[in-house]
Amino acid sequence: MASSDFSPSGASSPDGRSSPIANTNSSPALGPAGRSSRRRRRTPSTTPSPSPGALLTPSATPSASGPPSSTPSSLRRRWTRRHPATPSTPMSADENLPPSSDAGDDDAVDHDDADSAPVFVWGTNISVQDVNAAILRFLRHFRDPREASRGNGLLDDGKYMRSVHRIMELEGGESLDIDAHDVFDYDPDLYTKMVRYPLEVLAIFDIVVMDLVARIDPLFEKHIQTRIYNLKSSVCMRNLNPSDIEKMVSVKGMIIRCSSVIPDVKEATFRCLVCGHYSDPILVDRGRINEPTRCVRQECLAMNSMTLVHNRCRFADKQIIKLQETPDEIPEGGTPHTVSILMHDKLVDSGKPGDRVEITGIYRAMSVRVGQTQRTVKSTFKTYIDCLHIKKTDKSRLLLSDQMDCDNSTTNKTVEDENADYRDKIDKIKELSKLPDIYDRLTRSLAPNIWELDDVKRGLLCQLFGGNALKLDSGASFRGDINILLVGDPGTSKSQLLQYMHQLSPRGIYTSGRGSSAVGLTAYVSKDPETGETVLESGALVLSDRGICCIDEFDKMSENARSMLHEVMEQQTVSIAKAGIIASLNARTSVLACANPSESRYNPQLSVIDNIHLPPTLLSRFDLIYLILDKADEQTDRRLAKHMVALHFADPETQVQEFIDLPTLVAYISYARKHIHPQISDEAAEELTRRYVEMRKRGNAPGSRKKVITATARQIESLIRLGEALARMRFSEWVEVQDIAESFRLLEVALQQSATDHSTGTIDMDLIMTGISASERIRRENLVAAMRNLVMEKLQIGGHSARLVELLEEVNKQSSMEVHLNDVRTALATLATEGVVLLHGDNVKRI
Amino acid sequence: MVGLPYDFLTNPLGAVRQTFEKSVASSPTDVDPAAIFRGKDWGAVDLFHDFLFVKGGLAQVPSIDASSMRWLQPNTLVRFRGMVQDMLGNELYVGAFKDGSSWRTNKFSDFCPIQLPPACETQLWERQLFHCVPVPGQNSWVTETKSIPSTQNVSSSASQHEGKRGRGSEDEDMNLNEESDNGDLISSPNAKKQKEHENTCSSSCLSDDLMDHGNDSGLGSGDSNNPTCLVKIYDLPESHLKLNDVFEFIGIYTFDPVLAVHKDDSDDPMFELFEDPTVDLPPSKVPRLHCLICRKLDTQDFLSNSLVFESLSTVVRGIRESLLSHLTAILGNDELAAQYLLLHFLSRVRAQVEVMSVGKLSLNLTGFTKESASIFGHQLTGVIQKLLPFTQDITLTLDYLNTATLQPRRNNKTGRLVAGVLQLAQGTHLTINETCMQSGTLSSNGIENARLLKNLLELQKVEYDFEYYKLEMAADVQLLILSEAKSSILPADLVLPFSPGSVPATNATSEDLQAWRWYLATMRSLPCSIEPEMNLTLQDEMVASMQEDKSLGCAELNRWLTMTELISASFGEKNLSLEHWQMIKELERLRKDRLKEKAR
Repeated sequence: MASSDFSPSGASSPDGRSSPIANTNSSPALGPAGRSSRRRRRTPSTTPSPSPGALLTPSATPSASGPPSSTPSSLRRRWTRRHPATPSTPMSADENLPPSSDAGDDDAVDHDDADSAPVFVWGTNISVQDVNAAILRFLRHFRDPREASRGNGLLDDGKYMRSVHRIMELEGGESLDIDAHDVFDYDPDLYTKMVRYPLEVLAIFDIVVMDLVARIDPLFEKHIQTRIYNLKSSVCMRNLNPSDIEKMVSVKGMIIRCSSVIPDVKEATFRCLVCGHYSDPILVDRGRINEPTRCVRQECLAMNSMTLVHNRCRFADKQIIKLQETPDEIPEGGTPHTVSILMHDKLVDSGKPGDRVEITGIYRAMSVRVGQTQRTVKSTFKTYIDCLHIKKTDKSRLLLSDQMDCDNSTTNKTVEDENADYRDKIDKIKELSKLPDIYDRLTRSLAPNIWELDDVKRGLLCQLFGGNALKLDSGASFRGDINILLVGDPGTSKSQLLQYMHQLSPRGIYTSGRGSSAVGLTAYVSKDPETGETVLESGALVLSDRGICCIDEFDKMSENARSMLHEVMEQQTVSIAKAGIIASLNARTSVLACANPSESRYNPQLSVIDNIHLPPTLLSRFDLIYLILDKADEQTDRRLAKHMVALHFADPETQVQEFIDLPTLVAYISYARKHIHPQISDEAAEELTRRYVEMRKRGNAPGSRKKVITATARQIESLIRLGEALARMRFSEWVEVQDIAESFRLLEVALQQSATDHSTGTIDMDLIMTGISASERIRRENLVAAMRNLVMEKLQIGGHSARLVELLEEVNKQSSMEVHLNDVRTALATLATEGVVLLHGDNVKRI
Repeated sequence: MVGLPYDFLTNPLGAVRQTFEKSVASSPTDVDPAAIFRGKDWGAVDLFHDFLFVKGGLAQVPSIDASSMRWLQPNTLVRFRGMVQDMLGNELYVGAFKDGSSWRTNKFSDFCPIQLPPACETQLWERQLFHCVPVPGQNSWVTETKSIPSTQNVSSSASQHEGKRGRGSEDEDMNLNEESDNGDLISSPNAKKQKEHENTCSSSCLSDDLMDHGNDSGLGSGDSNNPTCLVKIYDLPESHLKLNDVFEFIGIYTFDPVLAVHKDDSDDPMFELFEDPTVDLPPSKVPRLHCLICRKLDTQDFLSNSLVFESLSTVVRGIRESLLSHLTAILGNDELAAQYLLLHFLSRVRAQVEVMSVGKLSLNLTGFTKESASIFGHQLTGVIQKLLPFTQDITLTLDYLNTATLQPRRNNKTGRLVAGVLQLAQGTHLTINETCMQSGTLSSNGIENARLLKNLLELQKVEYDFEYYKLEMAADVQLLILSEAKSSILPADLVLPFSPGSVPATNATSEDLQAWRWYLATMRSLPCSIEPEMNLTLQDEMVASMQEDKSLGCAELNRWLTMTELISASFGEKNLSLEHWQMIKELERLRKDRLKEKAR
């Protein structure tokens, strides 16, 4: 539309004459004045004008121009004719308006009285009647395709007719929420018009709704406002530009400030101080109330005697909030943008600072006045969004997993109303899951900057996906969460892995063992200093229920704090019995801990237990224990060197790996956790049994004298969990043989690193379970036997006592192995319990 | 070109408007002329470009500083060099309006030239607002090289002021330089301390001011003499300017007394939130600049143009040698430290890969005591100030950590970003003196500050606080730490025990200084590449080293590569060679020996 179409009278640019008024925020000035008064007329008594005042409509866009007063006026007229009862308040603002620049329009209206003649939205070719009809069609006939598919849609009313009925029954809800997607699906043309000329189309929308309501119940007096939400596309705050002005836009952001609620005078009543006469209510005229200078009563006529009577005035609520961009929309090297949002009536206080919201509204601009007294208008404009609808969006990244808790109540609106965006995402995720190399791809995408450690990453992936928690009828429950411990040399990016996992996991909590106390991790009871009430406060583990609790520097944690973990890691609860509170809190948490070896570097000569001073009872609760060691291996070195050089000189060769970006990965995981609950297939179960038995047997190899336990019942649980997690990764409902095979492999890799008995080279679960390897135990038994022989030989019953050192010398003479004094002491202690000898300090006596 | 109806310097708006009207007139009649020029240039900028860069008009354009502020006339062409300190978002303005039958433009000005006729046809355009400050820590020699003589060419209208002011400012400048030169050479700890004090004070005062919603706060950190500037940018993609970028803006200076008295005492609570952040920047203190042309500045742009050296390798090597010997002398004949210092000066962040910052090389010189820090430390900071354009130094004390505002923070009440000490321009050098640190308790602010410093050191990232969330901004800051023993609060890439053999001695002429500045600025920006064969050789070398010394990890290799790049840059070479790698290995060997020696 060429701007030459504008008639000077219709344009509402800031002009010297009207500026002082036009700038006050509540002023229905000039062109827009007609609009807001029109809306007011449609909203008699109940809802005051939703249009925010100071509607300086710059004529930058054709749509921005003031609508012809003809449209609203004639509409109003038609409306009032049909429902003469409704407009209770005499609010014909037009009469009150002194002849101004749009007086001409008013004249035009009066001529243009014939209802039959097509009425166009001013400056456009939009026919009011057409839009009216389209809206009516939409409201009456739109049916949710999802409902229709259920087969009961034929007889029912359309989706929005039901909403209208509901509102009328409740008599409370005064707004009709309309999903813009529905409008688009039903009538794309109407959608386009609505977005481009929101003021005009919404006005008609309101009228149509009221029309409908009046037909159903002529006595229904409340005004129902249409609120549009969920536009097809939302704009980035920083991309709002002049061409968006006066259009319907939707922006996402975070509320950072809310103003106090501003009472906005809609009509004022004055009283004469001299005679007490009350004036008629005076309406707001372009943002100000014209205070009568003299009493109108003929008997009085006192000058300057009128005073405002506050409780006879009518106010509307208004509030301004500031919306700030969310971090994901900010380009690198930029600061977040903000935009002001004007809220009216019901919307006031519907958001708090810190909320993430999606606002649908009309983008507007108003001119800046230089000073209150100055008439000069700066050539700049301030912009804001007139809010139509506010929707709180998810706070956490993993909204989806949060829904895990409530997913049975799917009638819940939020779930149903997930936008197309979400559906698209799901499709994309499903597509991804079908890739044959999804497992490797996921592995690669997990902390791509951390180098090597592929098996550790696979384990961590399993932890993210998790197994199925199982609750038997008997009350026994099996956890589905996988606990992982990383032990390793300093500088092997364990902490980075932890940080990364923390970012990925739904309710990840990151703590450091050094700074965590037992109560800080679990829960504690405190007394409120003021009321004296006892309060239960949750610690990290409870807070990360259904998430991953990352504990760095696990080894530095106090004994006491660690012991609290026993319960969490197997029973998945935290029990509190203190100060009158006995509670058991859920802590269905996967624990990801990392620890440094006690001698700062891992000593391969010692067992895991000796390397990290952790009690075996706790250690056995970890499904996977990984040792991350700096291994000298030329192959790895070469890869590392290549990686480093590439890092510095962007070698194209190594840059071709495909990664899944973080948001997608998060969405993928949460979708899998929510929707996929794999079962173990028969073949897989068979395989599991077979392999487990095989594993147990391995320790009992024929010919081997010692009995080594290589697998325990705890391992079989771990294996099942890992298998389930692996199936989840493929979005498969069945745990297949391949999953079982892979979970065995994962477990073995982890075991090989952590549970290998260094003196024999076999996997020995005893190392984890008791801290002593089988070979060590045999060695001790041999020593005890040797000692017994020695004692029998050398000492007589009741005879002289011998010194320990002497015995040690003797033993060392006989034995091929070097024996330490401590070993001798323990061996003798064993003999003492058998009642063979008596130990008195360093002296040994045979009994 | 005699009959130009406008003068680029004194009436730039004339040029803008005339070109606009000409373009409108020549555009086809069937389209809306004003609409097609939205967000576009109609040839005005080209005209200025031609005038400034082809015809050499740039030298005549006065720059905004403390002294020129007093005589600058509104609506004249000015320039401003500064760092983008805050982004204030977009502003809509009446870009074009129809005066009678002809279109006129408001671009590059705050006001309509004439009273807008009532109900006239207007076009809304938008521009971006940036708050720019003199670069924090800018050294005096940087301003000294700016072309002050150009003031003489400024229009007649300004000439009455110009006579006195121009000379005055020159004298002042010269005094300043002399003073700082002397002060630095003879090492005056007092002056130094005072400066530090000022620095910390100004930053903390600043934040206080803003918290109090002070009127004239937010005037930026750093040089309090030079004004900050509100720059309005037209028609540029937003990504063109980034926070903390150093730019030169050439544009139209506007000042309107009507605006100056602004600050309306509105009791309307609406204004509280509609208030724009510029309210805190009164035009009387913060000049407005409507930018016509802007360009990003490199360190090289701050060098005086009089001296251009050829990048011949012999010349470069010569300068390198003289600089090294100078540094060695400053460091009391510690040549190893001088070598490392040189590499440190040349380092810059080349890339941020995931969490790694490639190319940074922070240096921790250990073995300082309070006393030796006062002798060598001040010498060192003095030299750094003279060699590098932007330098800051922090004396780390418990009190400082607990009280200073290091983190830049958005004040959502005013909508302004409050500059913390760590809001630094890319390429700033930061010296942290840890020798005065005592033991004691850190407050939460202190812990946060220590964490920020550590993050800057390790990741070259500074977290900016936007109240409801924090944003990490990439930084490129060279960090030098002087400490007694290896600093654990600030883990640097390199730890080198400092062992001076004599008292510091310096002798540097200004030519030397200029040569060194040129050398550092130029070599630092040299690109570095690697030949495929060298790539393989290097990999072999690295593997061999790793086989030799099992304790080598990612960090060491990364550092060695960085150092190899830097040392090749220090010779002015763009390609890595094995020779450089060997040199680095040798340097590292010497350093390790020294570390072992110290440990003994």
